[in-house]
Amino acid sequence: MTLRSAHLLTVLIAASAAAADDKGEMLFVRRITPLFHEKCLACHGKDEAKIKGGLDMRTLASTLKGGESKLSGFVAGRPEESPIYLAATRKHGDWEAMPPKEADALATEQLAWIKEWIQAGAPWPDGARAKAIAQANEASWSKEDGVPIATSGGQSPEWTRRKYKPEDLWAYQPVRKPAPPLGHANPVDAFINARLPAGLSPAPAADRITLIRRATLDLLGLPPTPEEVDAFVQDARPEQAAFADLVDRLLGSPHYGERMAQHWLDVTRYADSSGFANDYVRGNAWRYRDYVVRAFNDDKPYDQFIKEQLAGDEIDPGDPEKIVATGLLRMGPWELTGMEVEKVARQRFLDDVTNSVGETFLAQSLQCARCHDHKFDPVPTYDYYAIQAVFATTQLAERAAPFLAAENTRGFEERAYLEKSLAEHESTLTRLDAVLLENAGRWFRENGKDPARWNAAVEAARQTPSVRPGGRRKSGNYSDLFNSARNMLSQTGVAESEFPPKLAGFTPEQFGLERVARKGLERLRWELDRYEPYALSVYGGRTRQYKTVSAPLRMPADRMDGGELEETCVLPGGDPFAAGPKVKPGVLSLLAPARSNRIPEAIEGRRQAFADWLADRDNPLTTRAIMNRVWMWHFGQPIAGNPNNFGSTGKKPTHPELLDWLTATFVEEGWSLKATHRLIMNSEAYRRGASHPDRKELSAKDPAGLSYAVFRPRRLSAEELRDAMLAATGELNRTFGGIPNRPEINPEAALQPRQVMGTFASAWVPNPLPQQRHRRSLYALKLRGLADPQMEVFNAPSPDFSCERRESSTVTPQVFSLFNGQSTRSRALALAHRAIKETSGDDAALARVFGLVFSRAPGVSELADCRAHWSAMAAMADAVRPAATKPPLTVRREAVEENTGEKFTFVETLHSNADFVPDLQPDDVDARTRALAEICLVLLNSNEFSYVY
Amino acid sequence: MSTRRFFPCAGGRALHAPTRRDFIYGLGASLGSVAFSALMAEETKALTSGGRPHFPGAKAKNVIFLMMEGGPSHIDTFDPKPKLEKLHLQEFTREGRQKSAMESGKRYYVRSPFKFIKAGKCGADMADNWTHLSGVADDLCFFRGCTVDSVNHPTAMYQMNCGNRFGGDPGLGAWVNYGLGSENRDLPGFIVLPEVSYPQGGAANWSNGYLPADFQGTPLRAKGSPILDLTPPPGVTQEQQRKNLDLMARLNAAHAAQHPGHDELSVRMNNYELAFRMQMQVPETLDLSKESEKTKEMYGIGKDATDAFGRKCLLARKLVEKGVRFVQLYNGSWDSHDYIERAHGNLVRGVDQPIAALIADLKQRGLLESTLIVWCGEFGRTPDNGVRGGTAYGRDHNPNAMTMWLAGGGCNAGHTIGATDELGMAAVEDKAHVRDFHVTLLRLLGLDDNKLTYYHAGRFKQLSQFGGTVIKKLIA
Repeated sequence: MTLRSAHLLTVLIAASAAAADDKGEMLFVRRITPLFHEKCLACHGKDEAKIKGGLDMRTLASTLKGGESKLSGFVAGRPEESPIYLAATRKHGDWEAMPPKEADALATEQLAWIKEWIQAGAPWPDGARAKAIAQANEASWSKEDGVPIATSGGQSPEWTRRKYKPEDLWAYQPVRKPAPPLGHANPVDAFINARLPAGLSPAPAADRITLIRRATLDLLGLPPTPEEVDAFVQDARPEQAAFADLVDRLLGSPHYGERMAQHWLDVTRYADSSGFANDYVRGNAWRYRDYVVRAFNDDKPYDQFIKEQLAGDEIDPGDPEKIVATGLLRMGPWELTGMEVEKVARQRFLDDVTNSVGETFLAQSLQCARCHDHKFDPVPTYDYYAIQAVFATTQLAERAAPFLAAENTRGFEERAYLEKSLAEHESTLTRLDAVLLENAGRWFRENGKDPARWNAAVEAARQTPSVRPGGRRKSGNYSDLFNSARNMLSQTGVAESEFPPKLAGFTPEQFGLERVARKGLERLRWELDRYEPYALSVYGGRTRQYKTVSAPLRMPADRMDGGELEETCVLPGGDPFAAGPKVKPGVLSLLAPARSNRIPEAIEGRRQAFADWLADRDNPLTTRAIMNRVWMWHFGQPIAGNPNNFGSTGKKPTHPELLDWLTATFVEEGWSLKATHRLIMNSEAYRRGASHPDRKELSAKDPAGLSYAVFRPRRLSAEELRDAMLAATGELNRTFGGIPNRPEINPEAALQPRQVMGTFASAWVPNPLPQQRHRRSLYALKLRGLADPQMEVFNAPSPDFSCERRESSTVTPQVFSLFNGQSTRSRALALAHRAIKETSGDDAALARVFGLVFSRAPGVSELADCRAHWSAMAAMADAVRPAATKPPLTVRREAVEENTGEKFTFVETLHSNADFVPDLQPDDVDARTRALAEICLVLLNSNEFSYVY
Repeated sequence: MSTRRFFPCAGGRALHAPTRRDFIYGLGASLGSVAFSALMAEETKALTSGGRPHFPGAKAKNVIFLMMEGGPSHIDTFDPKPKLEKLHLQEFTREGRQKSAMESGKRYYVRSPFKFIKAGKCGADMADNWTHLSGVADDLCFFRGCTVDSVNHPTAMYQMNCGNRFGGDPGLGAWVNYGLGSENRDLPGFIVLPEVSYPQGGAANWSNGYLPADFQGTPLRAKGSPILDLTPPPGVTQEQQRKNLDLMARLNAAHAAQHPGHDELSVRMNNYELAFRMQMQVPETLDLSKESEKTKEMYGIGKDATDAFGRKCLLARKLVEKGVRFVQLYNGSWDSHDYIERAHGNLVRGVDQPIAALIADLKQRGLLESTLIVWCGEFGRTPDNGVRGGTAYGRDHNPNAMTMWLAGGGCNAGHTIGATDELGMAAVEDKAHVRDFHVTLLRLLGLDDNKLTYYHAGRFKQLSQFGGTVIKKLIA
């Protein structure tokens, strides 16, 4: 058929079926138009410049005209000859599958609509007629097609009018408190049991040892001590009462806050460095981390917790605690180097904070709406920028905030080590300055120029206090006569050719050393901020322009006047230099109709008003989001499967009534998380055993494991593994908070050279004293550019993305780390030493090891097996005696110098290693202890230690 | 979420599960029956799965990715710009809010200090210091059309390596293994040979991102233990380790008997045995001493300038022979802001002979056809330089123009595709965003970027981020 005759046929068919209830036309208006918009027009008409394959599907004429294939887009009445249908089937040899992305493939139903429409003659009513048809049928269609959602409006009317399946909107509905089904003391059980698959009985309660281990690791991230286990097992009261007491005790432990903080910092992406090219240390980040620990320990009402983190500085700028709390807004990776455009970097911050607030608090990813209206959820691009406008006056600063009595400010004397490095860099620069002055002399001789002006400039510089050693200058205390002289001459208009070039006559080695020292001083400025009363924070103000940010930013005195008042507008395609319509600060509009909050447009107060909206008791997203997370922290799986995404692509809640009941109760009872823990943990569901008596029935009736008929075992997280080992050996230092510590990590990784902009990051140097190193993993210095390999391999999340849920994969490097690595071997030795010291006799020592590692006594055959192993190992124990290695005092770095492409080396001094006191060494103990350590190593690697039931 | 896999997987499933014979030879006799049945279960599962390419006819099966970190200058290597001879040292000023500090201010043009030749039958443009590589010019497909979004090292590195400027996404090797699986069960499918010092952006350049941890790139370190903690501390004998593993197997078996529904336990047990085997196999694989003197000489091993990269190239060939899917080699830094003649001169000297040897060696072993070699940096360099206290004849970063080349693997060898403007400032012909290059790379391996997706954070994600177009001219 020719193009012309196809067209004619269409016209004929269309003309012959002009009745208002024409099925084909109705199908077109109701199904085909929205379908084309959703699946096709992005590449076939929406953007004329980007039309793919030449096919424009906006109008009947252009569709019939076809694309590069020169074939009409469809042949009316004949779907099997119609390219758009054939391409959409994804099965036709001649036509490439459309839409290209597999994930965007048309559903069977959608495909059938296209087929049916083409069969019906592919009628294409014009705008007015389409509108009339839509209006005539609105009532009956909306019942079947889903519901529209009122928002601030999308970029196209089709998007604004879009309909949503009601089940995809569950999270936006108001929270109602359902009445729990009758017959259960704890409403949690009522809701859980109501959804048990018919005929599936729940597993009986776990034994007491399992229970105390489960609850203690759950709430504290640490295992119970053998004494705590005994006390609980021997508690004569009924289990429920004994367990309730246990939960209360655990909630009162200050370690509770540490465990919860770990969960929260996973979501908010905590790190002690900035990432990217420089990965500068964020010296003050630890104060935000400790704020989070305190907030959980104090059971700070969650609404207040939200408000302080988002707007503490606006709520009470006089309270350092509130300034520290806003560290949340600084958690994303960020830097501004001379290679980046300032505005682009600023936009990166704004995009980061916008999306992270959405994910963290609302469980709604907003990022998708940055470049276009959200593909699936009722979030228009306008809202994205309205929320972004809330932060348009938020500026980054390391702000003054005096230390609080509650903060741990001990250990600051470690700065002496950094000051040694500082002095070293300064003396390098002073030495190189002398070299340059000498080279300058040679330069004048070789070039036959008169050095008189130069010499005078050097002499003048020598008289200037800030450029000779002993003088005070911002960048450090070193001699800088050569550069000063150059600058002076340059400023007085002397031609560049009349004095020596920068870094004149340097060897590749000297080029390299100069850069290492100069950048080293810059890096230390960030690190030394750690011991100063500043907070990683924000302030409200106008936006200033920086070329680069290479030192901590302080709040300027003229914050309300200096710089530019940022005006937010929609950025088409997310491009910071494109300017769409202006936007006022706002909230998520799909929730706004019910709310009266207005975000002020003044510089200050935007975040506070936004936080008030976020933490409103009627905000269904915020309140459900936190309950869903808390449930996951206890059970290992959330009620709604994607805690950062309640939108239509996230998993639907398995127990929606339970989630709503928990949420409503939580808000009623003052947003207390501790009350929620009590409620959940005192349920039968929480106390259930991890094995089901009838496995067959369980897997038949609950194949996905969503019924809570059994308790789901989980592997210890990376941090728990390390902390539990330190707890078992008795080495754990339980001090709270304070500056980050540096445990020993794999020594090769510790010394692994790592490029940062223009130089190397300094080596990982562990704290000198064992008690400093053996703090909880929460407190270990967390650098974006250098993860502790043992943490990484056990799925500690990278702080680049918000982690809604920990993975627990099983990969081979875990074995290398845990079985061969130094840290487990050290723990094994310490554990053997402890067990022998605290007991007398082999069996008692073994029993102690089992108690400390497994929270239980060894079985008879296990005891015999271990005894035999112990003897076998004792016979070889001299072999298990690696010589104690002293940590190096220096490390030699080799690099390619970028000016010359030549290799050069420099030596980094690891100052604190001079004071290093090692952990217990094989040589410190006898052969019997060393042999027992092999058994301890096995136990610490065993499955029983790694999993919680 | 829990995953239950070893290293090499395809679409989440092991391709080549251990055979029963491996089991009998490889494991201790005392391992309980629980482990045995689990292993059998793995085997059955593997036989029913596959990591088949979307386009079965594709030639490339493996990739050797030569990452010249720092940004090699196209103008001084493969894209001559005679016009710069005339403009040499001519000064100008650039300002504007859309410019970074690096691009702004007083600048001057710089001619290339290198002479150019027409190499091979195809007459490819090459600086004359590529004395070895010019000998295999007809095996190379040069591409001058690629552009990237970022002008800063780590973000550009992330984009070239992972598709996303901001880090955290899976690396190319992770995607390729996710799509095709690995052919060696005892070695990781994605191996990275970094410089002694890690590049800017660090290990995130070979991250598994949101893909399961199995797909993470394993760096074989240039110095010290190739894999961290691959072996126990000195003094611990194999016998001792075996005995420890046997005790653990017995304790684990008893424990598993009490937790019959918990199938992760057996996977974790097997993992210890696999690690025990790898401990012996990996050093053997890395051992270059058994290669002939002739081979070593060919790669420049033993010569000061070429020894380090020569070893990497030879090892890359061995790894590909062993079925490692994706090997990425790092070299650098090529970030020659100043004194480019010296800097690039030395860098080219270091890689020229090893790379030419790698291509010739793969060819003589019949592996070039199935191995795609990629040479590129994270961006190109500018025809001009900033006046930063003097003129030092170097170049700044340039996201709008660069040269990369492909060899083997079904690429369009013997052709130069695309062109930059007369100064080398920006690509003008066959211009393509790096995402199109990524899509093309996958296509050469028989993978369809639009099908190679993974659900994360609310949407199906893909290497190219939002889809791209195959650069057909790069494919033979």
